[in-house]
Amino acid sequence: MLNVFLRELKRLATTPIYWLNMVIGPVFCALFFTTMMDAGLPKNMPIGLVDGDNSATTRSLARNLDAFQSSEIVAHYPSVTEARKAMQKGEIYAFYYIPKGTTHEMLLQHAPTVSFYTNSQYFVAGSLTYKDMRMMSELMSGAATRSVLRAKGATDGQMTPYLQPIVIDSHPIHNPSLNYNVYLSNTVVPGLLSLFVLFVTVFGIGSEIKENTSDELLATASKAGSWNKTQTAYKALFGKLWAQGIIFMFVGWALMLYFYGYLKFPCYCGIPTMLFVITIFVWASQGLGVLMICSLPTPRMGLSFASLWGVLSFSICGMSFPVMAMPSWIQGLSVLFPLRHYFILYVNCALDGYPLLNAWPYFATLCGFSLLPLLFAPRFGKIMREVAYAP
Amino acid sequence: MTIHESYAKTIRSIFTDGGALLFCIVVPIIYPILYTLIYNGETVREVPVTVVDDSHSAMSRDYIRRVDATPDVRIVGQSTDMEAAKLMVQHRDCYGIIYIPSEFEKNLMTGKQVHVQAYCDMSGMLYYKAILIANTEVSLDMNAEIKTADLGGNPIANASGIVGGTDEQKLTTAHPVQYEYVQLFNPQGGFATFLIPAVLILAIQQTMLLGIGLIAGTRRERGIRVTKGHSTLLQMTGVALGFMTVYIPICVYEFGLVPHLFNLPQLANPWELCFLMVPFLIAVFNFGIAIGGIPRHRESIILLIVFTTLPMLFMSGVSWPGSALPTFWKQLGQIFPSTQGINAFIKLNEMGGHFEDIRYEYIALWVQAIVYALLAHITTKLVHKAGGDDETTNQ
Repeated sequence: MLNVFLRELKRLATTPIYWLNMVIGPVFCALFFTTMMDAGLPKNMPIGLVDGDNSATTRSLARNLDAFQSSEIVAHYPSVTEARKAMQKGEIYAFYYIPKGTTHEMLLQHAPTVSFYTNSQYFVAGSLTYKDMRMMSELMSGAATRSVLRAKGATDGQMTPYLQPIVIDSHPIHNPSLNYNVYLSNTVVPGLLSLFVLFVTVFGIGSEIKENTSDELLATASKAGSWNKTQTAYKALFGKLWAQGIIFMFVGWALMLYFYGYLKFPCYCGIPTMLFVITIFVWASQGLGVLMICSLPTPRMGLSFASLWGVLSFSICGMSFPVMAMPSWIQGLSVLFPLRHYFILYVNCALDGYPLLNAWPYFATLCGFSLLPLLFAPRFGKIMREVAYAP
Repeated sequence: MTIHESYAKTIRSIFTDGGALLFCIVVPIIYPILYTLIYNGETVREVPVTVVDDSHSAMSRDYIRRVDATPDVRIVGQSTDMEAAKLMVQHRDCYGIIYIPSEFEKNLMTGKQVHVQAYCDMSGMLYYKAILIANTEVSLDMNAEIKTADLGGNPIANASGIVGGTDEQKLTTAHPVQYEYVQLFNPQGGFATFLIPAVLILAIQQTMLLGIGLIAGTRRERGIRVTKGHSTLLQMTGVALGFMTVYIPICVYEFGLVPHLFNLPQLANPWELCFLMVPFLIAVFNFGIAIGGIPRHRESIILLIVFTTLPMLFMSGVSWPGSALPTFWKQLGQIFPSTQGINAFIKLNEMGGHFEDIRYEYIALWVQAIVYALLAHITTKLVHKAGGDDETTNQ
């Protein structure tokens, strides 16, 4: 097995495409996502204001809205139509509309209506600007009541509970700043790593078929004195997988250290647990890769299978859109994607700090994936001996 | 080879090469449906939540009932204390805890403020959003009723003469300024409406890149070169027409049929959409030819292209707001047809914009088409030269 291991290391080191998929790709993706969402939560997103009133009150409202974290008023528009057009051009994500006479009616206690519009086609921008503008509207309402109450002789101490008797304190557990970097990078980047593992596993075996080196591989495996066909197949397959697996394991570890050591993403289980989880995840992806190439034993079909499965796993793992809101047959299907299990384990261990075995079914499934090569080794041997590459 | 020959050859390659058939025909047909099915729930409803009610009062029960009645949240149980509630979260029986303190009713009856705690699991932003919205809505409703003294016993409400007022007076007291919220272009705030347009455009770009790369790789591996006597340009036109023959029906399917099947917005004027697709398809094709010559093996194109799908989605500024993209990534995103394609398509089809709204993207796509054509010209020459050399050494 050692011979195969060394032979594989040499193959990996001398082919540029492996470098791209084992080192450059994962590093690029990690840097891409973490630097892109470095801000954590998008800040100062452009919004517009249609101020038909232009009074001292509305100007102070605009200043307050501008001071909110997510929104920045970049333009004033004479009418709602103009603002809507700016939104269609993509210049603003939202706008706030104060009709003419609002201040006057407010003073007369005629309950005027203001409105705000978000471009919900841009989901994150829409949600965040909505939050700001709604808060602003509540504050405006509060300010109006406050002036009436003050005129009636209420004290500040009496007014606050009157204005807001029930207050909601929200506690986003372990991600108090709603950091999108923590929320997305933690799953997207390992997901891409898993995609690379699938590729390398499939391509590594597939290229033996394609380059007609499978006999050489089996010969290397049997050099160590094993004459049994099955034994040779096991040695050849595991020698290859170990060489790739160890490199990916180190890449995975580097990723975890970058997340939890350098970027200080929440990790309530301790870094060693996550190192263990990512290792199992890498092995599980290798197991799935072996299944793919053994069921479709040509590099192009195996890689196609890996691509389709790998790309789909980002949606079906439920990191952005919860699995419970998907149709039930897709919920069932999600079990077949290792990223789904990794996502649950990451949430369970790093984000929530529960013991690994709290999510044991997911852990067991990942282990099951990683044991697949044991099942497929005889078929692998057969493919190596018999399948000829058809270009 | 004349235009006709290279056209026929391209069509034949697409339909006979397993990989090309899969990426150029099967994936563009199946994936949009699959993704729409995944996201078609649009939003998450009835997120399971547990309650710890230390108040045990009529008002706290009223609060819980109202939260349960919202579409966003479902109360799955009442826990005796926070420890029991935490266990429920740990076992994934629920995704949040609402804690109502013992002084809830007492405070509201005596004109004091009270804080309700809402704890949310952060494995998904949508859980957080659902739990927060449900609680905020209910608290604002109850606050309004307390102000008008329909609920609770606020001494200020009594003192300020609101009690016994007319309905109109009560309305003014509860909401001195009323507000309306309109979600433009995605009225349900749904996930499918938001993500599917980007998926459709990306599916077209990525599969065409893969198809071109696979076919180019095959030719290269077999050492097929440009035959002398005919210009590369004519042959490339043939290949381009071949791909367009496949991709124009796919565009009609993805932009016409898929949104129709799933009731997604379709606001674009079909002619404007066609107008946009011309430079988009040309830019993608030229981009494909330009990079299709890079890999040495035909499979390598898969290893190069597939993983870029996610970064390209994010660089387009759809999921992560474009205004918050760091300058470097934003500029890098400008060189890919998908960025312009997605934004222009969304403006036309989802936001009901018109041609003047997509002028920037439209010009950018033509610039890309031209620049990539030049690049494609250069790489094709290089590849053929290298291919020719290989062939001579082989012989």
